[in-house]
Amino acid sequence: MSDIEIVESLKRDLGEKALDLTNPDVRRIFVKIAPPELVPVVTLLRDKYDCAYLATISGVDKGDTFEFLYHFASPVANINLRTEFPKSEPRIASICAVIPGAVLYERELQEMFGVKVEGIPDPRRLVLPDDWPEGQYPLRKDWKHVRPQEVIPGGKS
Amino acid sequence: MAVVRTLLYLVVYPGLLFLFVYSTFCEWFDRKVYARLQNRMGPTHTGRFGLLQPIADFFKLMAKEDIVPEAADKRLFSILPVVGLAVVATAGLLLPVWNFDLANPGLTSFSGDIIVVLYLLSLPTLILFLAAWASTNPFATIGGARVLTMFFGYEVPLFLAVLSPAILADSWRLAEIAAFYQAKPLLLLTNLLGFIVAVIAVQAKLERTPFDIPHAETEIVGGTFTEYSGKKLALFRLTFDIELVVSSGLLAAVFLGGFPGGAVVGFLHFVVKTLFVIFLLSLLRALTSRIRIDQVVSFAWKYLAPLAVLQLLVTILLKGLLS
Amino acid sequence: MSFQIPIGPQHPALKEPISLRMTVEGEVITDVDMRLGYNHRGMEKLAEEKSWLQNIYVTERICGICSHSHATCYVQGVEKLMELAPPRRGLYIRYLVAELERVHSHLLWLGVAGHEAGFDSFFMYTWRDREIVMDLLEMISGNRVHYAINTLGGVRRDIDEGQKAKILEGVATLRKRSEYYFYIGANEPSFVARIAGVGYLSKESAIALCAVGPVARASGVARDVRKDDPCAVYGELDFEVATADTCDVLGRVVVRVKELLESYKLIEQMVKGLPAGDIAVKAPRKAKPGEVVSRYEAPRGENIHYIKANGTDKPERLKVRAPTLANYPATVEMLRKGFIADIPLIFAAIDPCICCAERTVTLVAAGSGEESVVRMSDLRRQALARHQNAPVKRNAVWPL
Repeated sequence: MSDIEIVESLKRDLGEKALDLTNPDVRRIFVKIAPPELVPVVTLLRDKYDCAYLATISGVDKGDTFEFLYHFASPVANINLRTEFPKSEPRIASICAVIPGAVLYERELQEMFGVKVEGIPDPRRLVLPDDWPEGQYPLRKDWKHVRPQEVIPGGKS
Repeated sequence: MAVVRTLLYLVVYPGLLFLFVYSTFCEWFDRKVYARLQNRMGPTHTGRFGLLQPIADFFKLMAKEDIVPEAADKRLFSILPVVGLAVVATAGLLLPVWNFDLANPGLTSFSGDIIVVLYLLSLPTLILFLAAWASTNPFATIGGARVLTMFFGYEVPLFLAVLSPAILADSWRLAEIAAFYQAKPLLLLTNLLGFIVAVIAVQAKLERTPFDIPHAETEIVGGTFTEYSGKKLALFRLTFDIELVVSSGLLAAVFLGGFPGGAVVGFLHFVVKTLFVIFLLSLLRALTSRIRIDQVVSFAWKYLAPLAVLQLLVTILLKGLLS
Repeated sequence: MSFQIPIGPQHPALKEPISLRMTVEGEVITDVDMRLGYNHRGMEKLAEEKSWLQNIYVTERICGICSHSHATCYVQGVEKLMELAPPRRGLYIRYLVAELERVHSHLLWLGVAGHEAGFDSFFMYTWRDREIVMDLLEMISGNRVHYAINTLGGVRRDIDEGQKAKILEGVATLRKRSEYYFYIGANEPSFVARIAGVGYLSKESAIALCAVGPVARASGVARDVRKDDPCAVYGELDFEVATADTCDVLGRVVVRVKELLESYKLIEQMVKGLPAGDIAVKAPRKAKPGEVVSRYEAPRGENIHYIKANGTDKPERLKVRAPTLANYPATVEMLRKGFIADIPLIFAAIDPCICCAERTVTLVAAGSGEESVVRMSDLRRQALARHQNAPVKRNAVWPL
């Protein structure tokens, strides 16, 4: 399947759901959808477009909104699903039921952006330490962290 | 005079001092062979050709901090390395290289000494298990369980293999077995199968690759020795080195025709033959990868034990034929 | 009796910190838990504060072993953003280094696998031969590990005829040796007994858990970015994707050795067909607003960078996903119901690179916990000051 065929087919399947559909480069397709459509569209991509392989999920802080990109790869193309939701209501559905391998990426997004991933099977922290304070999300653009004074047991300071 | 002689016998030759020096030499030989097989140099720095390296290692460990874990059974934990060393050193005294005089059996050469040597060589295994158990560390506990599991695999084939030449020689005394084969060297060939089985079983007893499962560092850190440090670890290492010498000496006495020719020539025989056995063990160590504990037991019972029984059968048939 | 044994954060089988908590019953693993983050350095946040050019060196330091692959993936993406067309000679040299790096990484892995299986002779042999390829890399780039050969718009160093001959000679030696290792790896009875059937990962779970690289290929999933999404030169070269269908550690060994042989083929093609011309074009300082997804097949699997530009000389966002992270869910699956003895093997078989998987740099003073970002010049000054104030040790007598 060539890029143009995939784009045409996606247009037919998604219809109105695809808010934006671009093909900026060879084998690179960007689709924008609304957050509620996420799980159905991922299921469609997996079943019809051979996109069972989720490369990763990128989160971008755009000021007032968060943009999440789900990078899927099929043997012929790289389909990037984009979804955007307001910072005031940071929640998104988990896609682990459809793609079990997504769990680590979703855990990372949860702690890095403070987005609640609903329905994630394992919501624990992934990379940040256990004593990391609540409400600190390092990859948000406005994040400024002042490290608390470290107390060494038995030490002088 | 007799007291001095006995003391010299126990402490200097062939007692602790000699065993210490010779076992470190054997460790050096083993390390050198192993290294050359792997395209490395092995020890080169301490002493000529690095000969003193194992001794340096021993003293370095002796000088290190000795830690006893809080939760461990402290008395058992501390006493086991000494007991282990004592046991293998005692086994060393029974080798027929220093009590070759058939007509005049000394204190350390008697009918049934082969059984005693085998028994004394089995004890370190139990001591290792106890040491692991006493240190109450999860890695050590798993190591200890592995020590015992493996013990059930290799011990029976080893006994069968070592005892069949004794049956053919019709004696339970090491010096007499050796003398029997010195008189009829061709009969040694009939024990070849047993020799192979015994070499593999000794490799397992000494916990060297492919049987270094109880202290497989990539799996369970130090295994049985995880909590041991300093002097105690040094003694355990020395125990293994002496066990290497004694078991290769035992194999040489039983399968390679012993050590004929009196004190000096017999000693040369001892050196050459033990080094030959150690060379085989090093070769095995360099050529194989570590196998799993269940594979050890199934390998021991599927291949080693039947081969040892076959050797026994051959021996008994041959004995019937000869008499 | 079931109890927990901790593998890591510090453990002889692990070269980098990660914590695996195994619940074992006797020798059998019943449950696995994984804790990451011991090596998190905040690279992604750091990258937002560095210029496009500086970020090449940041990404290069994500990993020590596959340093070139992260830099290449980043450079590939930024060149797209800046609409640069690097000269073909530059591209050939860039991917020549990439393939040499793959060779060095796979040889390293073979040795590690041998060591984890207790087969130290194999380890010594493969690591001896790894020196050949390390020397070649040093000859080309001047460095053994961080080659620093990539730049925006091409590469920084050219290679000449003498170097070409040396590369071909080295590759010929390595090919002979690798064929021997292939024979050993697939035939040495105790080694095969140890790795065959261990760490089973079915094709279905490999797909569902998004495994990448040799792990996926050993489960029969022919997923290779060099073939699926050929970047730059790979479309013009002749090679095959190595796969195996045994789904176990043996399959992963076989796949990696086959890939070695394919890499030798690629290197020879690239050296012989090296086009003439420049090696780099000049890159602008800023990139137009835009975004790009850059994919590259690192030795451990697919490497993906998502780069977003906002029109300044710094990226708006640089998302890095290293292959090891993608293989973790599959590892947990493989470890379950295995033996303790298989833990290091299975874990090593994904060729874990923990510092890749966890990216993030601030200096923290150990005493006070004070956080400070130190400039290189300050660091240098501090080092010099300390060196000058230190007592002279030239004739110092060391107590025994």
